[in-house]
Amino acid sequence: MRNDLIIAALLVVPALFAPMVASPYHLTFLLNLWMMIALAQSWNLISGMTGYVSFGHAAFFGIGSYAGAIAILAGWPWYLAVVAGAVLAWIVALPLGVLTLRLRGPYFAIAMLGLNELGRIIATLWVDMTEGGDGIALHPDLLPSLTANYTLMLILAIISCGMVAWIYNGRMGLELRAIREGEDVSEMLGVDTVRNKVIAFVLSAIVPGAAGVGYAMFTSYIDPASVFAPVLNIQMIVVVLLGGSGTIWGPVLGAFIVTGLQEVFWAQFPMVHMMLMGTLLIVVILYLPNGILSIIHKRKRIRPDQITPTSEPAKSAGMQEVER
Amino acid sequence: MSGNNSKLLKIRALDVSYGSVQVLFGIDLDVTPGEIVSIIGPNGAGKSTVIKAVIGIAPAQRGSIHFKGREITRQPAHEIPALGIGYVPQGRIVFAEMTVTENLEMGAFLLKDGKRVRDAVDRVFSEFPRLHERRKQNAGRLSGGEQQMLAIGRALMLDPELVILDEPSLGLSPKYVDIIFEKLMGLKEQGRTLLMVEQNAARALSVSDHAYALELGKNRFSDTGQALLNNTDVRKMYLGGA
Repeated sequence: MRNDLIIAALLVVPALFAPMVASPYHLTFLLNLWMMIALAQSWNLISGMTGYVSFGHAAFFGIGSYAGAIAILAGWPWYLAVVAGAVLAWIVALPLGVLTLRLRGPYFAIAMLGLNELGRIIATLWVDMTEGGDGIALHPDLLPSLTANYTLMLILAIISCGMVAWIYNGRMGLELRAIREGEDVSEMLGVDTVRNKVIAFVLSAIVPGAAGVGYAMFTSYIDPASVFAPVLNIQMIVVVLLGGSGTIWGPVLGAFIVTGLQEVFWAQFPMVHMMLMGTLLIVVILYLPNGILSIIHKRKRIRPDQITPTSEPAKSAGMQEVER
Repeated sequence: MSGNNSKLLKIRALDVSYGSVQVLFGIDLDVTPGEIVSIIGPNGAGKSTVIKAVIGIAPAQRGSIHFKGREITRQPAHEIPALGIGYVPQGRIVFAEMTVTENLEMGAFLLKDGKRVRDAVDRVFSEFPRLHERRKQNAGRLSGGEQQMLAIGRALMLDPELVILDEPSLGLSPKYVDIIFEKLMGLKEQGRTLLMVEQNAARALSVSDHAYALELGKNRFSDTGQALLNNTDVRKMYLGGA
């Protein structure tokens, strides 16, 4: 816990000062990195921690970005638009979670896949509101500066990491992990599984909703395909699995690696980065199913003091001479 | 012994169906405090379903279940542990990717007070020293017998009055079957009440104060464990003849 805070400080403090020294190019790269952390960490909160895989978390990103863009067009200040994006994502997530997370099995995954498609279709067809496939262009005068946008994404990344760390270290973290390991047994031990899953899910929708607004403001243009983007879903999954699913730092580490690789490849070979995503996903699943962090943790686990019993000589019932 | 209030658990005329398939037909069952009670019967007799109805994961259509005089029929599963019923699932399902200690903590996660949780963990460790030796290992690394001890230890974390066990000896080595049954006797000596479903009928009857033999979802025989062991019909039908 203490180490976590130290690492967080080492990352956040330089990040706060980056706008003073970095070029717009580098700042843009970092903005994308913070956005990726915010999204991946949100996915981690529901899917990494409970094992209920969401194939459509980009839906909240899309909902948020449209809500924010429309709010800005309506004359709202940008920071209220950000709040609107987060709140609308939350409002959509709550009933969806209550309905689908009562059920075990794949229903949730399928519902999320459907939500993303539904969002894209509504955004395309509801022309009066969303300008359909033409997309919404936002005049730069309405938008915050690059520095403000950068800071927004940084804050969202911190919020998402903070939420995961807070839950992970608390009682709810134990409950969510127990659900992932065995939902029936957890329930028999007194875990209100539905309530826990729904809370985790609703929390996981908020940051992507806000990040969608940040994205819309940063690019100043959104259309249905770019925000309800299947590739965004894949990115979140790859980032989390690569770093370490269900951990605090896994998504951060994964985002650094994926965003970094993408930047390199994107510049050189525009289409290759999609292939890279796919290849990375396969490699991770085959060779590193628990992510890069698991290598570090495995090493930790072999420390001798953790294997030999240290105290309390066992006395009762001759249990220990049996077996091995 | 026959008064209502002397029963810890009382099941009356219980019907359970899964979808359109009825599994239990008017089951009656009593558990008296301080006893070991077993449910035996062939596969498909509905043994496990009886206890699943008690802990709220099988839907009771008709009939009633009372625990300590209070009706718990159709009470949601996650509300059962707080009433004083511990459950050891079939196939000793433990949280494989969690450590032994974390598994035990899960058993007491209803307690808000960290000190009481630690006390409960220590209590289980003193009961199962083997678990203490392995406390930092992931439960998935334990042997089958150790996992069963862990599952029992987890069920004891809230200090339940009634411990319900689903097939506690299933799939264990003979050595561990002995150890587990010894442990169950030990729990009884501590004053706990046990209700178990067990495919090893002879073994279960030999330690049971009372037992119920089911057949196709109905009560067939019910008597003391020893009497059922000596009953020729029971021997023929449930104990493989002779």
